[in-house]
Amino acid sequence: MTRFYLYGITRPREVPQRLRDQGISLVEADGRAAVVSELDEGPVEATRRNLLAHADVVEQLHEDAVVLPARFGYVVESREDLLELLALPEIDQLLGRHATTCELTLKGTYEESVLGAVGAELQPLRDAYRAAPSVDAGIALGEAVGQGLAERRARDASLVLDGLGSLVLDVVQAEPAGELAAFDFALLVERDSVEPVERRVEELAAQLSPPLRFKLIGPLPPYSFVRFAMPAVA
Amino acid sequence: MAVTQRESSAGYITRAPRSSGLADVLEILLDRGLVIDAYVRVSLVGIELLTIDLRVVIASVDTYLRFAEAVNRLDLRAVDDSKSVPELFEKGGEDMAETKTKGAVEGGMDAIREKIGLGGRGGDDDDDEDEGRSQSRSRGRSNDR
Repeated sequence: MTRFYLYGITRPREVPQRLRDQGISLVEADGRAAVVSELDEGPVEATRRNLLAHADVVEQLHEDAVVLPARFGYVVESREDLLELLALPEIDQLLGRHATTCELTLKGTYEESVLGAVGAELQPLRDAYRAAPSVDAGIALGEAVGQGLAERRARDASLVLDGLGSLVLDVVQAEPAGELAAFDFALLVERDSVEPVERRVEELAAQLSPPLRFKLIGPLPPYSFVRFAMPAVA
Repeated sequence: MAVTQRESSAGYITRAPRSSGLADVLEILLDRGLVIDAYVRVSLVGIELLTIDLRVVIASVDTYLRFAEAVNRLDLRAVDDSKSVPELFEKGGEDMAETKTKGAVEGGMDAIREKIGLGGRGGDDDDDEDEGRSQSRSRGRSNDR
């Protein structure tokens, strides 16, 4: 029996040749289409290759029109199950909501020089540590620097979000990863707002860099904005 | 003046049209996206190992000591040469930050790769942009087993 690996859900349309060559096809029903490849038996392996391939498929298809990307690793056991999934009213609502949107990832990271710039009132701790670099003095200074950095991070995150303002329809804030990370935003924007956002980020960089560095990825499918409340499982 | 500022700030922005490396993709695909448990059965190998927390805990003694050491180094450097040549100071800070950040990130990714059997630093840890495309061509093979 055929099983399907699910990449995401889109509207019925042509699949580019490059993806067809990889076995990607659509299962369509009533103005909705599941992006799948057929699977034989066996599990799906969470390998680098499979992860990158999943992202490639949904991002390629999203260049032309809306795709609701599935989380990695979903296997649908039958065509009937796929059709049942496509028939969910939430799917249609999400396809409508994201008809002209995309997601941008915006991350901020500090250069190490920020550590010297936080907490002007730390000078006594700095002097004490330099005079006698003991573990205790180090922890006292480092903790104070960490506190100052947390404040700086909160301030800059708000400055950035305020600066982007109404260009952003919705935002998901992830916990920034890394000691010198400042923020990690998933931004939902209209597709035609991507360039204005780029310009706004340049303005923010003029204001906040150095020590802040920005990384802007996208336009991506709305990975972070496709949650819906599942009906209770029987 | 405005032009100069704009040019210099552009150096602080990394722009990528698509998620390019494994790090980007891991974060997005494992954490985000449609969740549809009620209708599908998940059949995965290795995914539980990928859910380990990538986040670095800020409030650790180790971090504090590293911060203190860095502040001290920056202080010393400021005393030594910043007053005469401020550009050197800035540039040095930049280089150090880059090295350090990179080391942490790559270390994390190595740990992940080992866990999911993707190999360590040896073979294929180059996350260049073309990889998504070239890798995905072989998707069929990987699934048709």
